[in-house]
Amino acid sequence: MAQRTLPVVQTAGLCKTFLDFWRRPHVEAVKDLDLEIRPGEVFGLLGPNGSGKTTAIKMLLGLLYPTRGRISVFGKPPTDVSVKARIGFLPEESYLYRFLVAHETLDFYGRLFRLPARVRRERTEHLLDMVGLRHEAKRPLGEYSKGMARRIGLAQALINDPEFLILDEPTSGLDPIGARQIKDVIQELARKGKTILLSSHILSDVEDVSDRVTILYGGRQRAAGEIGSLLSETDVTQISMPAVSAATIEQVAELVRRLERKDIAQVTHPRMRLEDFFLQIVREAHDANIATSGARAGGVMPDFLKKATVSTTDAVVEDLISASTAAPLPEPVAPTVAEPQPEREVLDALMGIDETQSVDGAEDELPPSRLDAVTPAPSDTGSSEYSGSADATVIDELLDSSSAEQKVDPKP
Amino acid sequence: MKVALVMVALIGLIVFGLPFSVVGDGSQSGAVQSFMSFGLNATGLLLGLLTIFLSRSVADEFVHRQIFLVMTKPVARWQYVIGKWLGIVMLDGVFLLGSGLTIYGMVHYIKSTHPPIDDRFDEFKLNNEVLVARHALKCTPPDFRVPAKAEFERNLEEGMYDDYTDFNAKDIQRSLTKKYEAQWRVVGPSELRVFEFSNVLCNRSKGSEIQIRYKTDVSAYPPDEVFRAEWQVGDSMKGTPVYRVPVRHVIGRFHSVAVPADAVADDHTLAVYFSNKNPFEGEPQYKSVIEFRKSSEVEVLFVVGSFEGNLLRLLTLIMCKLMFLAAVAILMTAVFSFPVACLASLTVYVLAGTRAFILEAMDTTNDEFAGMFSSLNNFFAQSMLMLYDALHKVIPDFGYYNAIEDFVNGRNVSLVWVLDGMFWLVFVKTSIVLGVAILLFHRREVAEISV
Ligand SMILES: Nc1ncnc2c1ncn2[C@@H]1O[C@H](COP(=O)(O)OP(=O)(O)OP(=O)(O)O)[C@@H](O)[C@H]1O
Ligand SMILES: [Mg+2]
Repeated sequence: MAQRTLPVVQTAGLCKTFLDFWRRPHVEAVKDLDLEIRPGEVFGLLGPNGSGKTTAIKMLLGLLYPTRGRISVFGKPPTDVSVKARIGFLPEESYLYRFLVAHETLDFYGRLFRLPARVRRERTEHLLDMVGLRHEAKRPLGEYSKGMARRIGLAQALINDPEFLILDEPTSGLDPIGARQIKDVIQELARKGKTILLSSHILSDVEDVSDRVTILYGGRQRAAGEIGSLLSETDVTQISMPAVSAATIEQVAELVRRLERKDIAQVTHPRMRLEDFFLQIVREAHDANIATSGARAGGVMPDFLKKATVSTTDAVVEDLISASTAAPLPEPVAPTVAEPQPEREVLDALMGIDETQSVDGAEDELPPSRLDAVTPAPSDTGSSEYSGSADATVIDELLDSSSAEQKVDPKP
Repeated sequence: MKVALVMVALIGLIVFGLPFSVVGDGSQSGAVQSFMSFGLNATGLLLGLLTIFLSRSVADEFVHRQIFLVMTKPVARWQYVIGKWLGIVMLDGVFLLGSGLTIYGMVHYIKSTHPPIDDRFDEFKLNNEVLVARHALKCTPPDFRVPAKAEFERNLEEGMYDDYTDFNAKDIQRSLTKKYEAQWRVVGPSELRVFEFSNVLCNRSKGSEIQIRYKTDVSAYPPDEVFRAEWQVGDSMKGTPVYRVPVRHVIGRFHSVAVPADAVADDHTLAVYFSNKNPFEGEPQYKSVIEFRKSSEVEVLFVVGSFEGNLLRLLTLIMCKLMFLAAVAILMTAVFSFPVACLASLTVYVLAGTRAFILEAMDTTNDEFAGMFSSLNNFFAQSMLMLYDALHKVIPDFGYYNAIEDFVNGRNVSLVWVLDGMFWLVFVKTSIVLGVAILLFHRREVAEISV
């Protein structure tokens, strides 16, 4: 990685100050931002509301002109028209034409890229399949729900098979299927060597897909780096295995006490994540052919997006990519030993949000939402609780793998 | 979109509804004329307004931010501006063509539903003076400075001006010229007056006609308000036949008489004699002095084209104006947000439409104003005048390109006129305005929010 190709995005001392009506400085939205996004990486842009994420993105796209500082996108100024042909952009809200139907919308944006009619038609079909809106494609977008419009927004961003994809809060407004799908798309595209800039408030999403993150606060960069090194917490060890009896646990605890002079802090059943549960319910409803005028579960990624990007990667990177494409998704195999990662509180603290909770991971209980840091073994039924969760709620029952089965009754 | 539909409905209402209610002066030609006049003027006005409102689509794209997406695609700013302009222009074109066709169809409808009031003149008038494209030539009056100069020199010799102290040769000659012209313009009882035309480049073959159009005034009206006289068209000296047309016409209105076109001489000149002598025997003789005023100069008209071609040229001229207006509207929306932009475009539209009037008003008021302001507010007055001047350099005079009245009166909307409009309105002014729009749009930050 020593000798790289050109970064996709490079900014130096980027500043944006909004002026008021009388041309007086009004809001300093971005201050001295130095970004470097390298080809093939997924770059996360984090920060609380109003921290300048969207402003930074708009400057990368030439929608706003920087007050100071330099930007290059693919080595050119962001206003360069040729650069835009290589970029896909999903804005934070739907900026689509309300009177166009989905088909027309995708065709329209395809035309702006001067794609030939046949390619446009093919890609439109594939993308509508992918975002699960083929059946609603004849309705004007003004009628769409927020998430449906957002899906078209995503489809629109992919119509030109971009090398560089900019997603501003891609999962906002999306149902869990859509959110998961976006993550899948991001990962898939990243594996093909595309570069992705992602801004989001859903930290778990960012965490799942990003290689590097930058955290903004008040327009300034507060932290930046590889997500692995930022988050790894070397003083906690987590072990996963198929369900064992209480007696075995006792013995293991005893063993640990004897060998390491440490106590086991917590033993739980992995719960199914609400995301997975939700996906299961919806999949079943879909299989039972229940009518809906909303979005369907999306299909597969269109082929045209599956081609690896070659132009921006050098041979080394290319090799890396082909190696990773050959291998399946790095699914963790149970039992897994993983380095536990700090909680959301750590990130929040980094971002300056005052939401004080104990950060001492070793003594604290892992909140359920964090269990996806280590993918749970899918189906282990018939085991019992050992700690925590005395205040079991309905959601807990739903998510408890054992009771999940009986709650599912798709209506005839 | 709704605006467009409302406009279409309005145009439709006017163009379709009108034929059922027009009466004009009761005649067939009158009905057709007032329908065409009103229909075309209304179409032009409404399309002008529509153009301004359509530019709202640009402003809307800023408000609803669709432009964020469009501008992140490989579309240059100039392409966006030109594209929007073309969109408006094309829509205008479709509407204009539609209402043009409708008007054309409706003319034929009126023809079939309004029978001519008297079977010869009304129908003749419609076919030969309304639904045609005629070229009009004003007569070339003789040079009155020649006799004026002669008289001046004679008077000078006779010593008439000797006792004048503030002797001004120019003024005297000018008033003498006026006197001779005034004399020429009145035709006393039993007098004969010749009106000469040159460059009468009409088709002189058998069967084609030329028309003499004129209006008479009298100093004292006869009891029946009718004059009886005779036109003699042709020049026997140049070997053309001379056609005699006795007329019995109402005073104070325009009339026309038609004669075969071979009255025009080989050198394309035409001599038209007016004899103020009653050719009708047994009818009363009122010895009136008949006057041909300068404002209603005698004209000769001849057909140079078809009604259809004329309509097409008229619509082209209207289209040129709409193209310019669309560019102005785009420029305004590229700079301002919608209500302001709309107001600014409307101002330009109104200024362009009333330019001739404003100039006139300024000419007459200028002197007084200059006097009033010179001491007190000279700088202000001067800068205002300069601003007006600048505005008038940029804003074209739509009145100059208004061919509707000529068209309705069966006059040729000349190709030269249309080309003039294309060159100045489209190639020069529209290009300038669009250029400025592109420049300003380049500098504008698309994602800048103005509340
Ligand atoms: N066009 C504009 N005019 C004036 N101020 C603006 C403009 N756009 C953004 N700002 C201000 O700049 C700051 C950063 O806004 P920005 O939209 O970049 O935040 P963000 O990080 O995207 O927030 P969110 O998470 O809510 O999307 C805010 O204070 C905002 O009010
Ligand atoms: Mg934002």
